[in-house]
Amino acid sequence: MKKLLSLYLVVILVAFTFFYIMFIKGDESSQIEREIGLQGSIDEKYVMVNFLTGIDYWKNVLKGFEDAAALLGVSIEYKGSTQYDVQEQIIVLEQVIARKPAGIAISSMDPEALNEAINKAVDAGIPVVMFDADAPNSKAYSYIGTNNFEAGVTAAHKMAQLLNGNGEIAIITLPNQHNHKERTEGFVTTVKEQYKQMSIIAIGDGKGDLWTSEQLTLQYIEQYPNLKGVFVTEANGGIGVGHALISEQKVGELKVIGFDTDKGTLDMVKSGVLSATIVQGTWNMGYWSLMHLFHLNHQLVEPISIQDSTGVSPLPTYVDTGVSVVTQENVEHFYIK
Amino acid sequence: MFSKWLQMNNWPIRDKLIIHFLLISIIPSLCITLFISWTISNILEKQSNTHLIQLIGNVSKSLDAQAGSIQNISYFISMNQDVQRFLDEGAELLQEDQERYRLHSFLQGFSTLYSEIAGIAVVRFDGQYLSNDMYARSERNLTEEYWYHEAIAARGIYKMIGHPENRNITTHVNYKDSEIVSVVRAIQDPETGNTKGVVLIDLKLRVIAEMLNDVKLGKNGYLLVVDEKGDPIYEPPHTYSFVPSHHEEWKKQTSGSFNLEVNQENHHILYHTSTFTNWTTVGVFPMRDTLQAIKDTNKYLVLFFFLLCVIGMTASVYLSTSISKPIARLASMMRKVEEGNMNIPFLADRKDEVGMLGNSFQKMILQIKRLLKQVEEEQYKKREAELRSLQAHIQPHFLYNTLDTIQWLTRKEGAHEATEMVGALSKLFRIGLSKGNEVIPLVDEIDHIKSYLFIQKTRYKEKLNYTIDVDDTCLRLYVMKIILQPIVENAIYHGIKERRGMGNIHIQVKKSHGFLKIMIEDDGKGITEERLLSLRKSLESSTIDDNTVISTPKLSKGGEFVGYGLRNVQERIRLSYGDLYGISIESSLNKGTIVTITHPILNQRGSEQIEGSIEGHISR
Repeated sequence: MKKLLSLYLVVILVAFTFFYIMFIKGDESSQIEREIGLQGSIDEKYVMVNFLTGIDYWKNVLKGFEDAAALLGVSIEYKGSTQYDVQEQIIVLEQVIARKPAGIAISSMDPEALNEAINKAVDAGIPVVMFDADAPNSKAYSYIGTNNFEAGVTAAHKMAQLLNGNGEIAIITLPNQHNHKERTEGFVTTVKEQYKQMSIIAIGDGKGDLWTSEQLTLQYIEQYPNLKGVFVTEANGGIGVGHALISEQKVGELKVIGFDTDKGTLDMVKSGVLSATIVQGTWNMGYWSLMHLFHLNHQLVEPISIQDSTGVSPLPTYVDTGVSVVTQENVEHFYIK
Repeated sequence: MFSKWLQMNNWPIRDKLIIHFLLISIIPSLCITLFISWTISNILEKQSNTHLIQLIGNVSKSLDAQAGSIQNISYFISMNQDVQRFLDEGAELLQEDQERYRLHSFLQGFSTLYSEIAGIAVVRFDGQYLSNDMYARSERNLTEEYWYHEAIAARGIYKMIGHPENRNITTHVNYKDSEIVSVVRAIQDPETGNTKGVVLIDLKLRVIAEMLNDVKLGKNGYLLVVDEKGDPIYEPPHTYSFVPSHHEEWKKQTSGSFNLEVNQENHHILYHTSTFTNWTTVGVFPMRDTLQAIKDTNKYLVLFFFLLCVIGMTASVYLSTSISKPIARLASMMRKVEEGNMNIPFLADRKDEVGMLGNSFQKMILQIKRLLKQVEEEQYKKREAELRSLQAHIQPHFLYNTLDTIQWLTRKEGAHEATEMVGALSKLFRIGLSKGNEVIPLVDEIDHIKSYLFIQKTRYKEKLNYTIDVDDTCLRLYVMKIILQPIVENAIYHGIKERRGMGNIHIQVKKSHGFLKIMIEDDGKGITEERLLSLRKSLESSTIDDNTVISTPKLSKGGEFVGYGLRNVQERIRLSYGDLYGISIESSLNKGTIVTITHPILNQRGSEQIEGSIEGHISR
């Protein structure tokens, strides 16, 4: 019996040694590489949903989104309405939700219209953040974007500086879009409260379109002969206004503050057609949107509960990506070298 | 070898059985384990190889599809009326707002539909260009760029350039050279064949990267795409840079696989070259990943094997013990029996061979016991018989006491002859009885025969004469009692009595050649030749008939008295001392008979102190 026991002992010992040499020792060496920082899987698909998907403005945002995705090793998709059409965006969003992505970053065209769809996504357990244009009454976890009111304030101060605090000003904006509304509000409020000699004579809907804005500007120039300045809350409109000035040969006479830094806008700032433009942290919007979504998806946040039972948001509810003013002096820095 | 084998024979049966069982349980299971491991590793390798080649082929196909759609876009752009006009008329066209807006919207449509496109530019042969999102970095003419030349060289065929470095054109959104793949295609005048311009589309590398990263080649394998020069288009990060100098290898075939050592580690390289893009999708697959799968299965196999070992050991020990234990028990029992202990109960509770063996042994012991008992009984009976015969001898005492009394009376009356006769008769009886001793001193035997002859002489006064000659050296010897009397009786009745006139009987006792020879010689009638032969034959056949022993006096039924006396003596001598001894007869008709008794020389009563004589006999 003792012999048998010792034989067993020998067999078990041999088995252990064998296992150690064959498997444990071998595995150690293979586990060195990799595992640096946060890493997701390529199966995780984060979707960016916005509107007017083709416009240049989003390209930087998308770049930020892509860069973050490359860093984290996840995959992304870019979706949204091709037209300036709320219904289309809702449909696209619904389609995206149906595919249960790892997270959705939304820029809403209308502050209210998308709430239902957004809430549906959140209820389905999909992390949702808003960027650039908020939907404040939705259940989205956070908003990453420009403090548009402040952007309007900044623009107002710049305009006052350009006009020496006096003159008639028109605003071309997208009146239904939350962020543009806020910009307009910030601008209007500042002008009203701080610059009494300045007045806002018109607020027009440029529809985010170059052509429309150009026509609108031509109309204003004709309508208001004392028009001194134009604040355009969006990029395409700025270029449209610029074209109108060129065609009316009012360059320099009318001070125009545009928005964003697409090629056309920068070119016009450089050539002096536009006096200034407000630059937003677009890349940051995309980048931090994905970061937020990633943290939510991987439950790296505290409190972990994604479902809103406590009422405490697991994420910073608002991230200001900041604004700055581009003028002819510093415009060169904004070109890609 | 042989000595080892011999040693093996000395092993306890238990150890032999254990080793035997272990061998037949472990060696086949080891073989099976090895065989399965070998088969599995082969199958796994083959399977994973085909699977991976297929996978890579599919990736290559989707790359083709992607490239195809980009190609379509380039055609679509070149077919556009406004683009054609731009190429024909140049940049003046762009001065008009409407035209410019139309072109802008047209190109924007692509970025709306294809988010994978980082930028589109249409470059006219004179360097003027049309783009929403791309612009020249410096004043240098774009037509001097290498990609432009490559597009022209390809003559309207679509051309892909991975990592277009040092271009004088850039996307407004800061996509680095390493983040894009450039697609160029020359737009040619169908009539003249002149190049009117080049369409440049920058595709985000992310699309390819996602496509490639989506494919997992085991734990550490990865995919990369290299162009026809062997430069990587896309290579995942965190991987040791793959040596592209091996691209010669995959130029030979569109798809295949080979092994390569990178960083002292063996890699399996699988590749598939697309004929459309001329790009090769390469799967780099560390051998140890396949090995890992094999290792995993091996792990279970080894576990299984050790389990088998443990079970086999237990089983072999159990089985061999169950076989060897009863044998050992049987052996120990036999040893005890060997030592004389017959009362060992063997519990024959089994029906196998060992049980049968035990049973047989048990039966054998019982038989032996029975036989022993029988022998004991026989011994006892024999002794009883001896006792009885002793008792029978006692009664004659009364007879010769009476004879003594008669002798005394006759002497008193003065009847001398009667007195002598009665004395001889008394002596005859006394010696015949000899206190039950079978062996008596020779002197007594001589006295006995003298008494007998005296009586006979009294009866046959005129006819019988006798002489007795005993060698002096023989006087102290012992002989079997009453061996002379039957022979002398025969000599008187068949020899002397039958002749005419006085007959002589001469008895001579002497030592001869280690034997005691007693010769009884008469000059009587003698025996006929044929009778002598039959007598001799009868004497020889009467000798030790083994077990039939003393008990059967079946001798010569013909009532031959001669035979009886002789045979009786013959049997007694031979039974006691062996065939060397006995009676021999010489005779010739009308001349006489000589009967010789060959008797061992006994120096002591009852014992077989006859060595000397035997030695003498042997030396003879």
